[in-house]
Amino acid sequence: MFIRGPIFLSLLALLLLAPVQKPTFEEVPAATSKITWVHDNAMSPDRQLPETVGAGCAFLDYDNDGWMDVYFVNSGPSDFFTPPKPLKNALYRNNHDGTFTDVTDKAGVAGGKFGMGVAAADYDGDGNIDLYITNYGPNILYRNNGDGTFTDVTDKAGVTAPGWSTCATWFDYDNDSKLDLFVSSFVYYDKSQNPLCTDATLQRRYYCVPRLFKPQPSRLFHNNGNGTFQDVSRESGIASSPGKSFGAVATDVNNDGLMDLFVANDTMPNFLFLNKGAGKFEEIGLSAGVAYGEAGRPRSGMGVDAADFDGDGWQDLFVANIDQEFFSLYHNEKELIFTDQPGEIAPATQLLSGWGLKFFDYDNDGDPDLFLVNGHPDDMIESRVPRVRHKEPLLMFENTGRSFKDVSAKSGAVFGKMFSGRGMALGDFDNDGDYDVLTSNNGEPPLLLRNQGGNRNNWIGLQLVATKSNSAAVGAVITWQAGALKRTRLKTGGGSYLSSHDPREILGVGIATKIDSIEIRWPSGKVDKLTNPPLNRYVKIVEGTGLVTK
Amino acid sequence: MRKNSSGNHKKSQIVLLCLLCFLCLFVIPARGQKADVVQIFEQVATFIRDNRLAEAEKELVAVLRVSPDEPVALNFLGTVRAKQNRIVEAESLFLRAAGNDKSFTGPRMNLAYLYLLKHTPDKAVPQLKEVLAIEPENAEALVLLGDVYLAQNNLPEAEQNYLAALGGRLENAAALFGLAQISRMNGEMRETTIYLNRVATLSADSKSPEFLYKFGLEAMRVNMFDEAKSALERAFELNPKEPSYLLGLGIAWLRKGDLFEAEKHFRRLLVMQPNNAQAQLHLGYVLLNQKKYAEARMWLEKSARPGVAIPEVFYYLGLVAQEQNDDARAIVLFEKAVQKLPDYAHARIALGSSYMRLKNYIRARQELETAVKLDPEEPSAHYNLALLYARIKEPAKAQEEMKIIDQLKAKGTTNSGVIVLPPKSNP
Repeated sequence: MFIRGPIFLSLLALLLLAPVQKPTFEEVPAATSKITWVHDNAMSPDRQLPETVGAGCAFLDYDNDGWMDVYFVNSGPSDFFTPPKPLKNALYRNNHDGTFTDVTDKAGVAGGKFGMGVAAADYDGDGNIDLYITNYGPNILYRNNGDGTFTDVTDKAGVTAPGWSTCATWFDYDNDSKLDLFVSSFVYYDKSQNPLCTDATLQRRYYCVPRLFKPQPSRLFHNNGNGTFQDVSRESGIASSPGKSFGAVATDVNNDGLMDLFVANDTMPNFLFLNKGAGKFEEIGLSAGVAYGEAGRPRSGMGVDAADFDGDGWQDLFVANIDQEFFSLYHNEKELIFTDQPGEIAPATQLLSGWGLKFFDYDNDGDPDLFLVNGHPDDMIESRVPRVRHKEPLLMFENTGRSFKDVSAKSGAVFGKMFSGRGMALGDFDNDGDYDVLTSNNGEPPLLLRNQGGNRNNWIGLQLVATKSNSAAVGAVITWQAGALKRTRLKTGGGSYLSSHDPREILGVGIATKIDSIEIRWPSGKVDKLTNPPLNRYVKIVEGTGLVTK
Repeated sequence: MRKNSSGNHKKSQIVLLCLLCFLCLFVIPARGQKADVVQIFEQVATFIRDNRLAEAEKELVAVLRVSPDEPVALNFLGTVRAKQNRIVEAESLFLRAAGNDKSFTGPRMNLAYLYLLKHTPDKAVPQLKEVLAIEPENAEALVLLGDVYLAQNNLPEAEQNYLAALGGRLENAAALFGLAQISRMNGEMRETTIYLNRVATLSADSKSPEFLYKFGLEAMRVNMFDEAKSALERAFELNPKEPSYLLGLGIAWLRKGDLFEAEKHFRRLLVMQPNNAQAQLHLGYVLLNQKKYAEARMWLEKSARPGVAIPEVFYYLGLVAQEQNDDARAIVLFEKAVQKLPDYAHARIALGSSYMRLKNYIRARQELETAVKLDPEEPSAHYNLALLYARIKEPAKAQEEMKIIDQLKAKGTTNSGVIVLPPKSNP
């Protein structure tokens, strides 16, 4: 039976006027995903600082089957901790049906150190994703053998970076088509450096504020292209700025084609390392207005990310801080000047401490939204500070064009729960065309969140395969147009906290039923243009060749 | 202002009347009257306490018909007149009572309170001295005399009377409170807190909301926020209809740094008194600090009565405009604040910051350098100047300013480092 005439038109009008249903995030329980790994934070009565800052997680396709696998970092033996039972990092292979299989031992990526973060990328350009693990202690570089196994090549590669490393970021700072490595260093620490932090009320130790510890310079490793790296921290200028560094993101803040670094520091001014070319960086955080909070007070920066949230063609920056400090959304005013314009994000985060975070288009309408993972580092904070909790909620902010709106309450039941959140990775683990989220929680099981409904809008997923540029295509600028919708996205390196993301790019086009064009400007300078690419599927784009439909 | 002083006047009258009742009630037995007269006076005292003034007056008139010069009856009738707000008659009755019995201190104390209420402390002093001539250890008279001297800024005389009221024991909360105020005025903060701590202990069960309120405000002056808070909470429990207690409580939370509790109290006060400008200003300030700019602006604009807006209101509204990315409007507002108060360093810092955002570096520099001169220990002035120097490529000067901030931190002269200061106006 057909509905005709006015009734049909009324129904059509109702349909058109009906509010657009927004995506939600659905928790995938361990019983479903078969991810049974749990982070052990090694919490001790001595409250050693490394216990509370880990750890990270990653989405990566280690076996090149086109499905995102996951990796988790765990604590392990150190000068202050001997695990009562063996602890290990974990690699779970995606079974393509919503379940995962633990392949850690087979792959040989168990770690075995007091782990912090992970950065996944194909550093040697052999087509396989490798893993760099940061630790409290020497770091590990696992080279992917291409057969489901990895080899520890840290010493040969020269990227040990002893001390306490936190976030690692793969990017190509000198545009020589090879992925270089930035490694954030946190404070100088060993078990003898742990002062007694307590108060009369508690009469127990709590985690000391990092202000009490000495800063360390971060590291920059130049990829020699032969499986080895050279520590260029000093000559590049990176080592001139010792910090207490956590999150780092590689982006291009002045659109000069050179990737800069925004680095969050805890209880110290943040760094904005401007890439001056010729292998040199200049730290310009103060003049850029991103180093300090109000009144020149350094804050406790943790997670960071970068994106052009308002579509003006310039990369904006985000940093999450500790409670009472507010999180900052730095709008790029060009000329290397930023203004803090957090809008609704500020009051929503006043009592929170933020770690993992990422700009991404959760509803495929073409603009970057923002996901925040929170948790207070001091497990005893509730007995000392009113209203601040140890476990904190996740937050989801939707991009409204010039600012963000808190949509957490409408984004799924998981936003009503509390976590000691730390790492956060972004990836489409079910290949349904919208970004899912993986979080790692301190001393708790991880959280896998399936995006339900992000793909109600149309999209195209890009797998960028570089031939002349760096293998992760970090620095590539993607412009796409679908009717009136025109968007540009810079492929950043790193971002979030201790975590690593799905390297593919999902381009949302809203309700448009056709994509007119996509242009990829590769870091090498090459430009690939696609017209009328397919909708709602992943495609492979090879630098200099263009579209290779999957 | 008129309304306020009239309100204060009324409040003082209420306090006075309560005290008068107290005096009348407790002075009688000491007079040793005949049993039947004593019974009558006890009945009268009950009537006065219960505000049954006509019945009290009837009994007193009957007594005075028989003994027209009976001092206790005259004193009681004076109290009735005072409660009826017939102050001139009250004064005359107290004077007659005092004249008829030179050793009767009750009417003289009542006269002292009456003169203080009439803002004629010079007339109160002789009455109090008369009382003390009769009863040299009368602690109440000593404290009251101390209060009169304190109000006249005669600190040595005030201190002498408070100490005499203590009589070597730290048991008199009112006398200790007076000593605390003297210590604070002398800049002796340690002593002030010691006295106030003792007052807090002694007045733990105080039934006087007025005293608790006064204590709360004094405690806030020396950063004893918890003590201030609990005193003001009790004052409000005792008299939940008094808005100034709620305002004081909100300010105590604010000074303690708990914006959420402060917000709650200011909102509650605005339910009680929707047009309370102080509550509007403070709520606007709290919301500004919570970065809830749209609502902050609404309350701040409401608090700005035409022609009477204080400079802080313009400053706060300017900060809201700045945060909403409207620097042109912010500059107009900051300029207004500076016009009203040229030494307003924070307004000049904000002005400099807005000029800097508009890339008017010359004006920014002028304002920021002025701000640093006005308040060399304010870190936000140095920070903004450092930012400016960094942007105009004078990195050495920028580093110098950042070093000053570090030095200020090391000296411990910086507080929270927050650019926004709480409103200066108190309840």
